[in-house]
Amino acid sequence: MIAKAPIVAVDAVRKVYGQANEQQYEALHDVSFQVQAGEFVGIMGASGSGKTTLLNILSTLDQPTSGSVKINQQEITQLRGNQLADFRAKEIGFIFQDFNLLENMTAYENIALPLSLQNVSAKKARPLIEKIAVTLGIDKILNKYPTEISGGQKQRVAAARALVHEPSILMGDEPTGALDSKSAKSLLDTMTTLNQQQQVSILLVTHDPFSASYCQRILFIKDGQIGQELKRGDRSKAAFYQDILGVLGRTEQ
Amino acid sequence: MLFKLSLTGIKSRFKDYLVLFSGLVMAAAIFYMFETLATNHSFIKANSTLALAPFIFQFGSILLAIITFVYILYANSFLLSMRKRDYGLFMMLGAKSGKLGQLIFIETLAIGVLSLLMGVIVGIGLTTLVGQLLIQRLDATALHFSAFYGPALVVTVLFFLVLFIVAALMNQRVLRKTPVLALLKSTAQPAHVQVRPAKTVSQVIFGLVSLAIGYVAMHQIGTLQMLGIAIALVTIVVGTYLVFNSLFTWLLTRLKRHTAFASRGLNNFTLAQLNFRIFDYNRMLALVTLLFALALGAITTGMGFQKNIKLFTESAPYDVVLHDPTASIKQAATKIDIKKQNHYMYKVGANTVYFSRDQFDQQPVYVQKPWRKNQTTTKYQLTYGREMNQQNPLLWQQSLQELLLPRDSQKTIKLVDQATFAQTSGRTQQLTTIVARDFFAELPTIKRVTQLDQRHNKVATSYDMGSTKYDAYQMMNGLLSGFEFMGFFLGVAFLAMLASCLMFKILSGAASDRTRYRMLDKIGTRQRLLRGAIAKEIGVLFLLPGVVGVIHVLFGLQMFTTTGLLPHAYHDLWLPFLIFLVLYSLYYLLTVKLYQNIVLKK
Ligand SMILES: Nc1ncnc2c1ncn2[C@@H]1O[C@H](COP(=O)(O)OP(=O)(O)O)[C@@H](O)[C@H]1O
Ligand SMILES: [Mg+2]
Repeated sequence: MIAKAPIVAVDAVRKVYGQANEQQYEALHDVSFQVQAGEFVGIMGASGSGKTTLLNILSTLDQPTSGSVKINQQEITQLRGNQLADFRAKEIGFIFQDFNLLENMTAYENIALPLSLQNVSAKKARPLIEKIAVTLGIDKILNKYPTEISGGQKQRVAAARALVHEPSILMGDEPTGALDSKSAKSLLDTMTTLNQQQQVSILLVTHDPFSASYCQRILFIKDGQIGQELKRGDRSKAAFYQDILGVLGRTEQ
Repeated sequence: MLFKLSLTGIKSRFKDYLVLFSGLVMAAAIFYMFETLATNHSFIKANSTLALAPFIFQFGSILLAIITFVYILYANSFLLSMRKRDYGLFMMLGAKSGKLGQLIFIETLAIGVLSLLMGVIVGIGLTTLVGQLLIQRLDATALHFSAFYGPALVVTVLFFLVLFIVAALMNQRVLRKTPVLALLKSTAQPAHVQVRPAKTVSQVIFGLVSLAIGYVAMHQIGTLQMLGIAIALVTIVVGTYLVFNSLFTWLLTRLKRHTAFASRGLNNFTLAQLNFRIFDYNRMLALVTLLFALALGAITTGMGFQKNIKLFTESAPYDVVLHDPTASIKQAATKIDIKKQNHYMYKVGANTVYFSRDQFDQQPVYVQKPWRKNQTTTKYQLTYGREMNQQNPLLWQQSLQELLLPRDSQKTIKLVDQATFAQTSGRTQQLTTIVARDFFAELPTIKRVTQLDQRHNKVATSYDMGSTKYDAYQMMNGLLSGFEFMGFFLGVAFLAMLASCLMFKILSGAASDRTRYRMLDKIGTRQRLLRGAIAKEIGVLFLLPGVVGVIHVLFGLQMFTTTGLLPHAYHDLWLPFLIFLVLYSLYYLLTVKLYQNIVLKK
């Protein structure tokens, strides 16, 4: 039996900020890793370690200086223009730390956006939106505007928008960063459920050990390099949390 | 300390302040520009025979004042929205609301005074530029026109000072009354528009009735006089606003409910954008409509007067008539691109001028046709000597008389045969009639040759006008170019106001739109779709006022036809409309490009 192709394959990615004639800063050195379909992977590191840089490259929002990134077996570093836009619209679901909802549209309309970009008819869109809204527990607030709902609800709406078109992978850059601990926990629980019951592949970037403890596998990033890898295996979340703290303690010294 | 903090706040949003500032400067400049004509009574008296003109200008002033007032209110709300968060933060940090009220009062007034100063300077420059350009281009006589005009300055300064003080007081009040939390969270709350059918219907009806009253008042301007203008002013402003307020809101709601339309591409987003700003938009649409109508109307009438001048000029048969030209005058005349040139001989007696009849048989001459009803200009017809008989002596007599020098033009014309002509005593003189290929293209040369002829024949400067194109042009230009000048000048002023209104409205939304479009880009919207969405949203702001504005102008021209000022106002209307629409479309494209660059640039 051949091993299934990974959903994300990162190979020798470097990212240098600044033009050749300016002061340059290498934010990522030679990063390589893979994510298999259905995995829930976390990327963890201190502030300034290059997490956002990495995730922006994976989500095609930014381009690497060198190296290759394949998502769903497609090389994305060469994509430009419409191809790039279409790839983002079809293959990637992204949750931002600051929600990034359009405050002039209702929750429903926000979630519907990726579908109307693909010209899915309103009739076909409705059941899809309602289904994901139920999954994320926001079916009661669909007709409210972002200014009328709480931060946790906003992030759920953002998650629904990221998932409604069934992307290959869901990526989140510290999605719980702006939430209170209760909302954060509830969002993470939902993500776990999505991962386990609907086999949604998830790549989560965080600096927070508690959020990281929800993942099956954690890659530690430091100064733009992937160092250690930690697998949860059969351990409980609490035990995994302790392990993470342990790794963090060692690397900090 | 607080003062310093608030200054840093300004620095950090320098670009937005620049937008606000330039908007205010333009408003003041254009207001001044208009007032240089409106308050200049000697100009108006000298340049229009119409007793109504001063009133028209007064009402124009009022209308522009209303428009400027709304514009300033809008700019002010933009200022306040920029400052609310900062001031909310200061309050959180313990600043007293009274102190902050003072601060915003000073800030508003300072910005106002600064832009007023700049505006007046820009206004004087603009007025000079436009005035000079028009006077040169149109060969217009704008008596008593001066770009620097004291009363206009005083009116502008007073008006804007009052406006800014009102605005400053309003800001102070708002800041004192709004709770801290609301200030902090004041990133534009969406407008929830409830469309209540009964209200919409009554607004539509009231709006349309208002417009109808306004149109009728303009039609009846001859009998209503000043009152007509006053009525039209009020009803059209009110009607325009109501129609937009009801119909536009209704239309948006309908489109939103039309899911097949709304769910395609970014349509729903565009609708949301429009809906989000609906209160601004309704005001803006009405404002832009009025400015559109004023600008288009002014330019159309300006061109109407220009056309009148052309019409009368071209009705004259000959471009130049020379009397006994010297060699040098003949030489000068060869510079004209001549289509047809005739030479006639004549002799002048004490009370009679003699022509030999034969020469008119060989070279027919233009003679007036009998005047018919509904005719606006004299018509001419090539006539042979044998046709110049006793049946209609007045017409050919008069036509020939008009070709002669003023001192001979009262004498009786006698047509004689060749032999009699030879025997008649007196010096043989030569009359040369010239028809140029294109009068207006050759105007400078024609003017020179005509003046040479007049100097050579010692014609008094204030001579009775003859019948050449040049004479007709001189007369009509003197009579109408003042109107023409006003039309174009005001057209330019309103157009500039229109442009600055739209630009300000659009730029003031750029900052918040940037994040929205950025987000749409992040979730994978094609560039073309993003550009299209911008083009659509701005397109609404251009298209709707354009359509309603054109309707306003079509009715407004009634004022000129029913008073006989421009009997043919509706003829060849396509030309000014086309020119205006081309300008307007270019401005639209420019705005869209500019906005796309600001909003979509990474
Ligand atoms: N646009 C940029 N230009 C230059 N340096 C940048 C840019 N973005 C990030 N960096 C630098 O790259 C490093 C990694 O940043 P980032 O990926 O945002 O870290 P993290 O998300 O892990 O906190 C930081 O040192 C940051 O200063
Ligand atoms: Mg980051």
